[in-house]
Amino acid sequence: MIRRAVLIVLGLVWLGPTYLLLVNAMRPAGSYDPSKAWIPSGEFRLLQNFATALERADLGASLAGTLLYSLASPALAVVIGAMAGYTIVVLRLRGGFWWFMFIFGGTIFPSQMLLVPLFVTYSDLGLYDRRLGMILVYTAISVPLAAFVLRNFFTGIAYSIFEAARMDGASTARIFWRIYLPLAGTALAAVFILEFTFIWNDLLFGLALTQTAEVRPVMTVLAGLMTDVYAGTPVPVGLAAGLVVSLPTVLLFLATQRLFARGLSLGSV
Amino acid sequence: MKWRAGYVAPAVLLVAALLYAPFLWTGYLSFTRYDGLAPAQFAGLGNFAELVQDPALLTSIRNTLIWVAGTMILPVGLGLLVAVLSYDLKRGAWYRLPFMLPYALSGAGLGMVWSPILSHGGIANLLLGVDTAFLQEAPHNTLAMLLVWTWQQLGVNTLLFVVGLQSIPKEPIEAARLDGAGGWSLFRHVIWPLMAPLTAVVVGLALVASLKTFDIVWVMTQGGPGRSSETLAVTMYRDTFVASEYGYGSAVAVLLTVVTGLASYLYLKRQVT
Repeated sequence: MIRRAVLIVLGLVWLGPTYLLLVNAMRPAGSYDPSKAWIPSGEFRLLQNFATALERADLGASLAGTLLYSLASPALAVVIGAMAGYTIVVLRLRGGFWWFMFIFGGTIFPSQMLLVPLFVTYSDLGLYDRRLGMILVYTAISVPLAAFVLRNFFTGIAYSIFEAARMDGASTARIFWRIYLPLAGTALAAVFILEFTFIWNDLLFGLALTQTAEVRPVMTVLAGLMTDVYAGTPVPVGLAAGLVVSLPTVLLFLATQRLFARGLSLGSV
Repeated sequence: MKWRAGYVAPAVLLVAALLYAPFLWTGYLSFTRYDGLAPAQFAGLGNFAELVQDPALLTSIRNTLIWVAGTMILPVGLGLLVAVLSYDLKRGAWYRLPFMLPYALSGAGLGMVWSPILSHGGIANLLLGVDTAFLQEAPHNTLAMLLVWTWQQLGVNTLLFVVGLQSIPKEPIEAARLDGAGGWSLFRHVIWPLMAPLTAVVVGLALVASLKTFDIVWVMTQGGPGRSSETLAVTMYRDTFVASEYGYGSAVAVLLTVVTGLASYLYLKRQVT
């Protein structure tokens, strides 16, 4: 009984800000007042507020770019990572363990160690403030985890499957695309979800490597809107933008909590 | 079979070009003076000598330590509490839902939600009947952000602990219950030792993440007012991209890497022995 009571009290405290977010994101833009923030306005202006944010910060173009990054980069990364895992485990690449350590070693670098050279090189190569440049960075960052998870996964698949397919005359490429990749569905999905969320929520690379709203990831644009909260963006507009932009990851996370947790603890080993 | 190295090439090339090469380059730049335009000038340990005398860096290190310690106590500690209280309850997932919702909000979304609450004259001031500008004065702006961080991170820690708690074997717990253990002693002597491997993972993740705290600070205070709420990651960003001192910024990045690497190493070593 005490357990339930503690959980309920703590839960209510936690719901407070969530409640404030919902109630005030729906309020008409001009009517926000801190002393009445707890009282619902009785109107539903969420979409109008979001539309205002779209206009003000050119959020639409940024959302399209972000969607591209968070779908393309993890998709590329899981396939590239799976290819590496397949070569190392199934095709028994010579020195495979060391290649694997090299790829997985990429996870230990803090992003701060990458920013200056990326910024300078991107400026020289004309990749600064380009969508292609962002896709490249996000893919590279996602590859080590994908290679790690897929290598582990392929280690658990009986080698006789590969031998049987070879007997039947299938090429190694065909075996990869038709047998090993489909078998790894769940592992691929776990990595994809984790990387999707990471990229969707990224702020730092967006700050350092982009400038225009069209290329800037949405969280970076949102952060810019944020610093203007006092400089003119009405609170309901900011909240509506934050809420709508967070919906994809909130829904994805709630729908796949367990897969997500597994991916997280996998990535840490 | 002769092309098999070709399959591993995309991964190796991407990682080499976009992770290893920049990493080494930043390492080199930390020994130079560099403004991004004129060629980098080798300066030996000059940047590091400046670092140790930089008052902004000392503040930044102090704040980073507050973030690390605070993360262990609040999101991780409270997360464990919520997990232990709820993991074997009927409909436990419903009790945990309030904690799960904030997790998927990004740092930027988090700033949106909390700025009107913490701003001067905002909701928290009215609710608590105080006139403190939570984000605008030095010691408590970091603490206020730590509470916001707790609000967001509690859920994921709880989730990791719950997954672990539900996968530990039932027999030892049942046996201990039959022997009359319950409540605190059951937790302390049976459950806690069984979940030690998982706790090690959760604490390790939180340790590394808290050392690199950036998003939430950048969004809520940008390290200010002055430079009073900067963390190492924010200091690096500001020195590099705001002040255009690329060499000095790289030295801060190297410091952050060394601290993170050392902390992870010591932590792992302690876990193994």
